[in-house]
Amino acid sequence: MAKFLLLAFRNVFRNRRRTIMTLIMVGGGVAGLLLAGGFFAFMTHGLREDTINDGLGHIQIFTADHFNRDEVRVLDSGIDNWRRVSATVQAGDHVRGVAPRIEFYGMISNGVKSSVFMGSAVDPNAEKSLGFTPRLASGRDLDGKPNSDVEALIGSGLAKSMNVKVGDGLTLLAVTTDGALNGVDVQIVGIVKTGYAEMDARYLRIPLASAQRLLQCDRVTNLVVGLDKTENTDQVAAWLTPRLNGLPQQMALRKWVDLATYYKQVRTMFDGIFLFLGLIVFFMVLMASVNTLLMAMFERTREIGTMLAMGTPRIWIVTLFMLEATLTGILGALAGLVAGNLIGMLLNASGLHMPPPPGLTVNIPFRVLHLPGLMIGSSLVVIFSLALASILPAIRASRLQIAEALAHV
Amino acid sequence: MPSPTRHPGAPLSFYSLFPRKLPLPAHPPIPTPHPVSVPFVGNPAHLRLKPGYLSDGSKNSGKGPAHPMNTTDQTPELVTAEAVTRRFPMDHRFVSALDNVNLHVAAGEFLAISGPSGSGKSTLLNLIGCIDKPTAGRILIDGVDTSKLNPKRLTALRRRKIGFVFQTFNLIPVFTAAENVEFPLLVQGFNSHERRQRAAAALESVGLSARADQRPDLLSGGERQRVAVARAIVHRPALVLADEPTANLDTRNATQLIDLMHDLNRRLGLTFIFSTHDARLLEHTDRIVRLCDGQVVADTLTADTLTADTLNAHVPNEGASHGQVLALSL
Repeated sequence: MAKFLLLAFRNVFRNRRRTIMTLIMVGGGVAGLLLAGGFFAFMTHGLREDTINDGLGHIQIFTADHFNRDEVRVLDSGIDNWRRVSATVQAGDHVRGVAPRIEFYGMISNGVKSSVFMGSAVDPNAEKSLGFTPRLASGRDLDGKPNSDVEALIGSGLAKSMNVKVGDGLTLLAVTTDGALNGVDVQIVGIVKTGYAEMDARYLRIPLASAQRLLQCDRVTNLVVGLDKTENTDQVAAWLTPRLNGLPQQMALRKWVDLATYYKQVRTMFDGIFLFLGLIVFFMVLMASVNTLLMAMFERTREIGTMLAMGTPRIWIVTLFMLEATLTGILGALAGLVAGNLIGMLLNASGLHMPPPPGLTVNIPFRVLHLPGLMIGSSLVVIFSLALASILPAIRASRLQIAEALAHV
Repeated sequence: MPSPTRHPGAPLSFYSLFPRKLPLPAHPPIPTPHPVSVPFVGNPAHLRLKPGYLSDGSKNSGKGPAHPMNTTDQTPELVTAEAVTRRFPMDHRFVSALDNVNLHVAAGEFLAISGPSGSGKSTLLNLIGCIDKPTAGRILIDGVDTSKLNPKRLTALRRRKIGFVFQTFNLIPVFTAAENVEFPLLVQGFNSHERRQRAAAALESVGLSARADQRPDLLSGGERQRVAVARAIVHRPALVLADEPTANLDTRNATQLIDLMHDLNRRLGLTFIFSTHDARLLEHTDRIVRLCDGQVVADTLTADTLTADTLNAHVPNEGASHGQVLALSL
């Protein structure tokens, strides 16, 4: 077997120019997949962490009724004893912290003009402890002091729409749990760019206590749980589920992936593009290799005839050709891995940035992740492609009529 | 004559690796050939036997077919071609490359198939080598009717019993000389140690030990053909088929190759059948079968080969019965 493998290996380098061209093609395919896949992985990984750290958290806890809530009176289905629930969650491993929130809607007015807002009432200290810091375009974050004035952060689009700046005052109007309309004056301490234009046009952030005063209720709509690592989400969720079921109020938890709709859309799109690229590389390698291997078979017709004449089983000829193709695939994949990783490192060091994609307002750094899974997958794609490409030439070679093959010129 | 068994401590030789199958008599040195073909017009009665009868007049039992080299029951028949015809399709018709050819070759023969281009030499060799199938008739190798073997068994038969030498050497270019010689053993499943040992011995027997690690492109034409011969004999086949083995060699290399093949024939008892129209090779052969237009037109024994017994026993093949000539080199 070793000798047979040696024969296959030497045959790979028999026609060096052609082999080098094949290796370039195969290696290029692998490098292309690595770079595209590495970039997509960086994008999706970055988007995932951004989505989580922008305030989504790893896990969110709601009441079971929350998902059937009235969007005007959101606290009707809020969490009653949220401090107890928070304490329960805090006791878990990998939990960095719990941040209570009230997600609510209302009207905002500067006295001249009114607009709709999507409010997020937060405990600034809890948010800070989890690293959920808003992206400020100007001003500062909420300071979280108990007796501070009613502070607010608003989205850049909303600020522009309301023609206000840091230090200006605004009035918030919302419906309380009793159904009454209540109002509170706030002072803008910062202007936020969330990265999403639609969000910036509606975004408002105020301290939790202010929102509870506005809505006349001590409840919160949800608890945001931050973990040490995103990879621990499933484990913590599994730990939490039975504990939440033991509480008086029926609770429900959602993992970040269930809530990150935009992330999932982007991920699906990237997966589709990568699959398409993978198929292109697969068929490119397949077609080019079939041609190359058929040429090799044609050139070696007499040699194959000689081997068959000497009593070489035909399956050996099939195996030999497939082995040669597989070896070429392995060598090409290795070349592609080296090239792809080197180019990736160069790109990462270059500090390139991509223009913002649709829906985002900030430039995206161009980075390529070096993922072992991607390397293995890309290599397997081309190796499998070459092995598949060799089947036709291998079978044709094995079916040669010996006498005709020996007379081949 | 080297001993077929190896004495402890004695250097390994190719011959010692294989016990001889045939107790061939010691052969005199190759004489300077000067055969003169003396055609016998017609069929001399004293050289003819009835088909199916031996020289002593007894009926042939089938174990010892009547042909020039098979004079006694002690020499088994290795190759038998019975009424072999091979036609090839060409332009909506069939062209006969061989037409009703009969041939009997005994084990240990050194036989040349001669004839002009297109006479059917290579076709006959292909059929004997089981790499082609006759349109009609049958080929028996060592008593086995090859027409009744499935492809797998034919492959196994070629692997074990037949060695091939080709006009263009057909060595595997990425293998060294030694690795090329090892190849038939590899196919037969010998382990690497044994392969190396036997290949080295085979290369030694063709005088190429020093070139064992060279690839074919670094060998001369003569050396390549000697490697091919070593490859053909390394597994000690019963039969070595050589298709125009000297066609691509100069006179010196051709002569050396002929001498080498003849020497192997005598010392190992290997049966050599080769096609050629090279006069240099024909001069060294024991028996010449001449083909023309796909038919055997002459079946000749050289002077060295013929003894009184052979002469008495000689019966031309049936394929040579149509006004053909029995030519004796005297």
